[in-house]
Amino acid sequence: MPATQETIRQVRKIDVDQYKYGFETKIETEKAPKGLNKEIIRFISRQKQEPEWMLEWRLQAYHRWLQMQEPRWARLSYDEIDFQDYYYYAAPKNQTWLKSLDEVDSEILATYQKLGIPLKEQEILAGVRKQNEASELDDSLYASGGVAVDAVFDSVSIVTTFKKELARLGIIFCSISEAIREHSELVKKYLGSVVPRADNFYAALNSAVFTDGSFIYVPKDIRCPMELSTYFRINERNTGQFERTLIIVDEGSYVSYLEGCTAPQRDENQIHAAVVELVALKNSEIKYSTVQNWYPGDKEGRGGVYNFVTKRGDCRGDHSKISWTQVETGSAITWKYPSCLLRGDSSRGEFYSIAVSNGHQQIDSGTKMIHLGKNTSSRVVSKGISAGFSDNTYRGQVMAHRRAANARNFTQCDSLLIGNNCGAHTIPYIEAKNATAQFEHEATTSKISEDHLFYVMQRGLLKEEAIALIVNGFVKEVIQVLPMEFSVEAQKLIGISLEGSVG
Amino acid sequence: MNGLNHMLEIKNLYARIAEIEVINDLNLTIKEGEIAAIMGPNGSGKSTLSYILAGRENYEVKSGNILYNGQSILEMDVAERAILGIFLAFQYPVEIPGVAMMEFLKTAMNAQRKARGELELKIPEFLKHVKAVAAKLEMDISMLKRPLNVGFSGGEKKRAEILQMTLLEPKLCVLDETDSGLDVDALKIVADGVNALRAADRSFLVITHYQRLLDYIVPDTVHVLYKGRIVKSGDKSLALYLEQNGYTDIIGEVT
Amino acid sequence: MIAGQKTILTQAEAKIIDNFAVLKGEMAQRGLLLEAARKAAMDSFCKNGFPSKQMESWHYTDMRTKLIHIASCNNTKADRLLAFPLLPNNIVLGLINGQAVVSPEMKWKKEMLCATPLDKLLTNSQAELPQDFADDNVIAQINTAFVSNGWKLDILENVSLDKIIELQNIQNGGQSHVRFPVTVGKNANVTIIERQSGNNEDSFISSVSNLDTAEGSQVLWIIIRERGLMSSELNQFNAQLGKNVVLKLYVIHTGSHFLRQEINVNLNGIGADFQLREINLLSGKTHTDTTMVVRHLAENTTSKEIIRNVAMDRACGVFQGIIQVVKEAKKTDAHMVCNSLILSDKAEFYTKPQLEIFAEDVSCGHGATVSEIDHDQLFYLMARGIPEVKARAILVEAFFRELIEELDKEKLRKVLWRLLDECLQAHI
Repeated sequence: MPATQETIRQVRKIDVDQYKYGFETKIETEKAPKGLNKEIIRFISRQKQEPEWMLEWRLQAYHRWLQMQEPRWARLSYDEIDFQDYYYYAAPKNQTWLKSLDEVDSEILATYQKLGIPLKEQEILAGVRKQNEASELDDSLYASGGVAVDAVFDSVSIVTTFKKELARLGIIFCSISEAIREHSELVKKYLGSVVPRADNFYAALNSAVFTDGSFIYVPKDIRCPMELSTYFRINERNTGQFERTLIIVDEGSYVSYLEGCTAPQRDENQIHAAVVELVALKNSEIKYSTVQNWYPGDKEGRGGVYNFVTKRGDCRGDHSKISWTQVETGSAITWKYPSCLLRGDSSRGEFYSIAVSNGHQQIDSGTKMIHLGKNTSSRVVSKGISAGFSDNTYRGQVMAHRRAANARNFTQCDSLLIGNNCGAHTIPYIEAKNATAQFEHEATTSKISEDHLFYVMQRGLLKEEAIALIVNGFVKEVIQVLPMEFSVEAQKLIGISLEGSVG
Repeated sequence: MNGLNHMLEIKNLYARIAEIEVINDLNLTIKEGEIAAIMGPNGSGKSTLSYILAGRENYEVKSGNILYNGQSILEMDVAERAILGIFLAFQYPVEIPGVAMMEFLKTAMNAQRKARGELELKIPEFLKHVKAVAAKLEMDISMLKRPLNVGFSGGEKKRAEILQMTLLEPKLCVLDETDSGLDVDALKIVADGVNALRAADRSFLVITHYQRLLDYIVPDTVHVLYKGRIVKSGDKSLALYLEQNGYTDIIGEVT
Repeated sequence: MIAGQKTILTQAEAKIIDNFAVLKGEMAQRGLLLEAARKAAMDSFCKNGFPSKQMESWHYTDMRTKLIHIASCNNTKADRLLAFPLLPNNIVLGLINGQAVVSPEMKWKKEMLCATPLDKLLTNSQAELPQDFADDNVIAQINTAFVSNGWKLDILENVSLDKIIELQNIQNGGQSHVRFPVTVGKNANVTIIERQSGNNEDSFISSVSNLDTAEGSQVLWIIIRERGLMSSELNQFNAQLGKNVVLKLYVIHTGSHFLRQEINVNLNGIGADFQLREINLLSGKTHTDTTMVVRHLAENTTSKEIIRNVAMDRACGVFQGIIQVVKEAKKTDAHMVCNSLILSDKAEFYTKPQLEIFAEDVSCGHGATVSEIDHDQLFYLMARGIPEVKARAILVEAFFRELIEELDKEKLRKVLWRLLDECLQAHI
């Protein structure tokens, strides 16, 4: 139970509505003028030194976006967003085109240190080497259990670690901006192939103005030896972050990717509209883990990040597998449905989610499992915890196409309510179009059982401690599938997010 | 008392499920009237063998043959085999809510009678017959009013299996771990039920993990199944040997 | 054109609007009042038309494409014969092509039950109509605009009616729009069967039942639908449950071309209990939608809903169910289960079971499965010598039988089973 103890200590330590990552980095920034129009898109493209086709692609997306309506079907209520009131490009001054880590602004380095994200490879290696036995791979590369990081600060990727080492295996890990310039053919082939430009309102917006994000390509028959990760930070005021991530894993390969995010505490609503595309070819596997901890707003519901995200994985090859794991604790508004298109025969999709809402947070999140190939299977485990005045909705679709013979799905979706001013909702869409589909869906909503609470408190725990213990048990199934680096972090975060929820 | 006719002959059988080999070159012959016991450690393929005999789907016979009274049954479906007289007493009989036990017994008996060209049973004589058999097995009559196997205890389910076996009068009885989950008293009742069915023209294949059952249903032959094939055969004494010494040395000889 | 009318109408929508112009006068001639309500309802319909799938409550039933044909509003003269009652002693109150019919020998005690044909009440505006014309409530819109008959029932206080009331709504071709307002007095106990039947002629029906129950009453309500494959029906069952009321609702559906069955139940009183058991046997090229909203509005209320569906041929089935629990409804216990068997590769079933929970101290859940026939069970039956076809039939029967077995009235159970069994025999 060390994690539980840790949670409790954290909970005690932190003041009621203190968001740990709410500090601001004072740094000079280059911004595009406020608002969105064709000129801004040209500006972004120019800043990124993009090829002509990319600009054209963006402009077409913008054109479609202008014709689209903001979706309002989710169980979310917020004032209309004035998209002209945001900055679409903000970059720390003189921080583009860096050759080495030494050139990174010390303020930024300090920021990442404060966030607990190591950017210096030596440090990471030093930490890892101690416990690491000899590896058959090149000694200098080796970091099994180590993490390669792409750090995105507002609109630009500051640095990507371990690039050279990964390159030796043929793995490309860089910012999407760099990929567009350096690996144009790959990007051209796959960008928008999973989430089309005009897929939805926010995807179209993102396609027009995305500024940075990560790109990964793992070649045939390579098991990526370290976790790859991106750390997103929105720093600048009134800035939208539009990240774009594209991961392609070629036949027989494997990669595990982690994503983390935070933002400073601000009174106004920052906007984050990301698009993530995953492509898994034959016999490959992608494991994608997120800990989303954008600023959730204050006690009264002021401020916080609006998080509109389109994440989709395409199991394009036979026997491929994509697994999404998310821990959602931040953001004022979350609109996010990481999905799997199970196109290849015998492909598999997984979605594991913990969504914690407190204060005035609103979450409408879930997944889509679209069974298209034969013998495809999927598993969905969603744990929602609502506290305070929050609303927490699971929305998930499971569909078996007419030709998806023997499609299998199992969905378990549980909600826990803490307090009497919050809501927990479950909206599954179960669509079977053939006779061999087998779907099983189960959902429960309950409060923390008085019996359990009594039992634990009788053993000497305070109510708050007892709740933390029980909540950790409630989410255990999902925590278990998180990579080691994330699981302790996630448990702490859940404890902190629920801080102040116990009456 | 064993006849000379071979009731069951399994010849060089190879079978797989979900692309995993489960039966590897299995050979086994059971004569008319014989009681053969199959023993083996967990995972050796005992239940698999019973499913393959009964014709369960997804068990794919790659090569070899199964002859029942000289006739290959590989192309027959589950019901066709049952009608020929192959009965499987399940290790874990399934519960089927909504299907009344009596209705089920009547349907099964009549399906078999019809296939044999016999007349359907008359209700009164059917009821009388079922009640008599149930009484012998010390089954509570109220169980017969419930849906099929629903809410039955482990012991009750096993008794219900023997009840069905008695009513359907099969020729080859395959008992899959019928002793599991039974206390000594229940075991005796079940064994008595089985023993009452012993006949010159009826054979038994008794699958069990423990020799205990064989104290009550005494076998003519004992076979040890390991990794999908028979690795040793003998008489009743082999079972006693296994009880005292475990499977290790016999398996050791093989591997 | 009426102000606010949708500009592009489907044929069916246009037909309904045309029908209104024709029938408005006819109804006035018959002295059926409620002109204002009818007009308001029709205005609402003109504004919205049929709901499309963009409307969340109609997500899987796009009426604009699913209901493309509306039967003629000229009711042919039907032979005035009621169906045999399901049980010999039933009190049969009939509607045949919209005409109230009651067999002359039918007798009941006035101090227990008041039954009045609705057209009598409509002529002196004694009938109350609900005014909920929300955009997605197309059933209320159409039914209010066209309602011409029905039965108003009042079961008086402390009455325990041992005879079953059987409402027969028989439609042999044509159109009718009927309503059954029912009140059940304090501590009363009643069983009501709503039989929606008809022949194979082209027909279009809307039927709305409003059940209002007083404290401590117990109601068993059974909807049986056996219409032909040319029939389209919009059916709404609305119930208000008072304190400690127990409502058991059975829905047995075996046919019609297009059906939208809405079930709206409000558990207003402390300790109220709602039980739904629904059986859908779907065949042919048909569309069947059950949309249910159960609102737990008071403490200690309980509900359980079990929906079982078999989809064959090219049938398309939909179940949308919402359990809502408001903040005040502490200690709510609500569970819903929807199990579907799809027996044909061209059949489809869509399930959307929702929970909307705003109270902390609750136990709520839903389960949904879509599957083939259980292979273990099939193997077991076949291992006893039952041929595959028969074994499958037994398992489909068992799937439904479980729900029927729950009925504690033996005669009723038998008669319902016989009815269902006939349909099963015809299809499987």
